[in-house]
Amino acid sequence: MSTITISHLRKDYGGVAAVDDLTLEVPDSTVFGLLGPNGAGKTTTFKCMLGLARATAGDVRYDGQALRPESFERIAYVPERSTLYDNFTVNEHIEMTRRAFRAFEPARARTLLEQFGVDSRKRVRALSKGMKTAVMVALAFSRQAEMLVLDEPTGGLDPVNQRHVLSLMISEAAKGHSIIFSSHQIGQVERAAERIAILQHGRLILEGLVDDLKADRKIVEGIAPVGGFSLDGITSDSRVARCDRTERVVRLLVIDGAPEFAQRLAQAGATGIRVLDMNLEDIFLYAVSPADATTAVVAQELAP
Amino acid sequence: MPAVLTVDPRSGVPIYLQVVEQIKRSVALGILASGEQLPTVKQLALELTVNPNTVARAYRELERDGVIETAVGRGSFVRRDGDVDSPRVAAEIASDALDVALREARSVGLNADRVRALFETALTRWFTDAAKDA
Repeated sequence: MSTITISHLRKDYGGVAAVDDLTLEVPDSTVFGLLGPNGAGKTTTFKCMLGLARATAGDVRYDGQALRPESFERIAYVPERSTLYDNFTVNEHIEMTRRAFRAFEPARARTLLEQFGVDSRKRVRALSKGMKTAVMVALAFSRQAEMLVLDEPTGGLDPVNQRHVLSLMISEAAKGHSIIFSSHQIGQVERAAERIAILQHGRLILEGLVDDLKADRKIVEGIAPVGGFSLDGITSDSRVARCDRTERVVRLLVIDGAPEFAQRLAQAGATGIRVLDMNLEDIFLYAVSPADATTAVVAQELAP
Repeated sequence: MPAVLTVDPRSGVPIYLQVVEQIKRSVALGILASGEQLPTVKQLALELTVNPNTVARAYRELERDGVIETAVGRGSFVRRDGDVDSPRVAAEIASDALDVALREARSVGLNADRVRALFETALTRWFTDAAKDA
């Protein structure tokens, strides 16, 4: 087992909550993607998870245990910014890691670094941002850690090496390990993550299995008749998450029951009805952007 | 076999469903033979660079639908007495594509007569020409 549990985590900075009552679980054998706009609280969450920042409230448990010195044998962390020693070579970092972690496999680290195209004889200061990320990833994935916390683990990497990092995460999940990572590249999260959470202003606004979110959430679109029409009973349905209106187009974001809503829009007089799938980028953008109007207001506007 | 599978993670169609559909299609079209072994969950996950649990979910679904069977310790195989009826699956594939086209035609305001005329034209183009070529 290697479950990571975050319960009611809160972190205030100067009276403002950077993370606000965050609860989530990363089960074993899972790649978990954390998404959110800049400043949503992803890095702060990771810092609280690793003991780099003190949580104002709530706690984080690894296999039911609070973070202790010995936990670090089982947890690997890749920070968003390099914490490597500029004046040391990559080979010297391999040696430092070997001395710090009993389970570290130097031969594996060298193989991974070679795959990333990193020249291990170089000093860190001579490496690009992407190569520094690659060094941290290679070291983290050579420690036989069962729980990996990765803050932008593909930052600065080229597409081939980005894919390589995703494959490493997938292999770890197949071994039963748990991985939580953040990325601004939604396509990567969509590919590698089984489960995602979206943070905004420190709060969890959406969580679920990527495939289930896609299966359930649909956009039902229709063209309103001239003179408007009533959407009463449609917009008030609890399955309609929001209703947007642009010009004469009505767009419903429905959670479950898309064919039924397509029919109801048609009965209300709409034409040109389409049911659209949502990819993760659509789901993300809808989640973090406010509706054009509240459903109640829209319903009023459309009433004949 | 895995070379025939591709997934588009950026699509709004769940990845596990894409895998299910493609394996069914491959079995129906004979690209995957009866009794043929499928890659392990981990192999296919790495091949497609998608989450292993997503592939495992697809395999469970295929098993439930009677397309494949899994023997503990030996792997997953296309069922010899499988439920895949090739002509039916071929008809389903065509029928789904037609549904998409017809929904679109109706949504842009064409009536049934107009759609029928378009269909006849397309049918002639695709089928008569093919017959001439043969």
